[in-house]
Amino acid sequence: MQFKNHTLALLLGAALVGCATEPPPAPAKATAPASAVVAPAPVAVAPSPPPTPAAVVNMVNNCFSCHGTDGRSPGTIPSLTNQKPQQAALVLKEFKSGARASTVMARHAKGYTDVELEAIANYIGNLK
Amino acid sequence: MSKISRRDFLKIASAASAAGVLGQASLARAAESSKGSARVVVVGGGFGGATCAKYLRRLDPGIAVTLVEPNAKYITCPFSNLVLGGLRTMDSITQGYDALRKKHGVNVMHDTVTAIDAAGKKVTLKSGKSLSYDRLVVSPGIDFKWGAIEGYDEKASNVMPHAWKAGPQTVLLQKKLKAMKDGGTFIMVAPANPFRCPPGPYERASMVAHYLKEHKPKSKILILDAKDDFSKKGLFMAAWEKLYPGMIEWVPAAKGGTVKSVDTKKMIVDAALEKHKADVVNVIPPQSAGTIALASGLADDKGWCPVDPKTFESKLHPGVHVIGDSAIAGALPKSGFAASSEAKMCAAAIVTMFKGGTPAENSLVNTCYSMIAPKYAISVAGVYRVSDKGIVQIEGSGGVSPKDAPDSFREEEAKYTFGWYQSITADIWG
Repeated sequence: MQFKNHTLALLLGAALVGCATEPPPAPAKATAPASAVVAPAPVAVAPSPPPTPAAVVNMVNNCFSCHGTDGRSPGTIPSLTNQKPQQAALVLKEFKSGARASTVMARHAKGYTDVELEAIANYIGNLK
Repeated sequence: MSKISRRDFLKIASAASAAGVLGQASLARAAESSKGSARVVVVGGGFGGATCAKYLRRLDPGIAVTLVEPNAKYITCPFSNLVLGGLRTMDSITQGYDALRKKHGVNVMHDTVTAIDAAGKKVTLKSGKSLSYDRLVVSPGIDFKWGAIEGYDEKASNVMPHAWKAGPQTVLLQKKLKAMKDGGTFIMVAPANPFRCPPGPYERASMVAHYLKEHKPKSKILILDAKDDFSKKGLFMAAWEKLYPGMIEWVPAAKGGTVKSVDTKKMIVDAALEKHKADVVNVIPPQSAGTIALASGLADDKGWCPVDPKTFESKLHPGVHVIGDSAIAGALPKSGFAASSEAKMCAAAIVTMFKGGTPAENSLVNTCYSMIAPKYAISVAGVYRVSDKGIVQIEGSGGVSPKDAPDSFREEEAKYTFGWYQSITADIWG
């Protein structure tokens, strides 16, 4: 399992390398074309630097504490597998805006920029 | 075996863990003699240490990871309050190390680290062995400041259990609760900040109340507290009024809650304004970083370990990382979840540093559920980032469960509380 995850990380790294190699010094200069890979966001996307591939892996690893290693939950908390990146991004942004009801997910989603949520969604949308 | 390649070591390690052909000592020697592979020794197999060992191997299977943990099994503090409430058994909160060994190739040694030589990059074990490392991760949890409350030393904990490290102490406290008469008084002595698991004492009071309501409804719970506020206070107090009316009394420091001394013979707790007699006393004493962190000079004068928030590398000893309850982690609470999140960030930083890179900007997460009744739970959550001022909570993120939520919301969070335990323990020890 860990090797598959490793491969995913590499794939993701390749996918994001265009926006990750030049972290802009100020948010205003951000040119991340992240919205090109996901559905239009329901809320305004603030320009912010995209997370590095390593940072995305770390953020997603934090999701695994509740949602199970590699997104496979052994218990009552939903798994993260079998989702498309676009669908996952939409759900995360709806948690953040409050459009989608949740117990704790709104409180988590508000901790990330839209660009970060998209990067997280892109990762978990590729979990099998 | 004097000179083996990193690839050979991995073969040996995986063959050994799969077939058990080599003893742990041989594995350790293989790790020490393999010049090619980076070696990490992790001290402590709890939420922080076990996570770090597993995620180091997930992030880079080329790293030789040795986990040193005294106990063959780990009993989790999370859900130990549910044992007191009668919702869980001790077996169900006991974790093992087989998966770390067999699935993740971690060399698990059941031994105790007695000394850390940060300059020489090696640790000494109780068994007499020593282990060399390239980076060391120390995750020893907490230890108690015996004697800070007069009359409360380790021996006194046999009479007035702390049960703040899960295991025999949890069983002892449960036994005393079961032996208590209906109409008895249960006193909890709660510590000042900082301490392990900020909402823990109040979850415990809730779970004890649940047990008493079912079996000894005339009994009372008195919480003598050394502070004037506590985690999720509004939610706890509203729930107590609803579920356990008149059963739980909380005495803050401002109203004489600070306990100066205890008398284990007379079962008396001496608080600032009056003496209280009890049938069962649970003293949660003031705490510090784990003993090994104190003994090896990783802690400051207050007894906690200052670290670089980006890597959790000690500010006092380079090459040594301190994670979990022992570390000073800014706004992050001393929780099992936070320890696990710190461990993942620390593992990623170590992997990057071995490759000569700069650790990524990362966020950290905490999610803590508290069970108040079998179908009533509340939570606190937060997302944190590293700033110039250390680890801070990201503005707008996190917080506690809503105040005026319907019963269905509390029930859903209770359902997720059980899911939380199942997921996080599998993520760490599975």
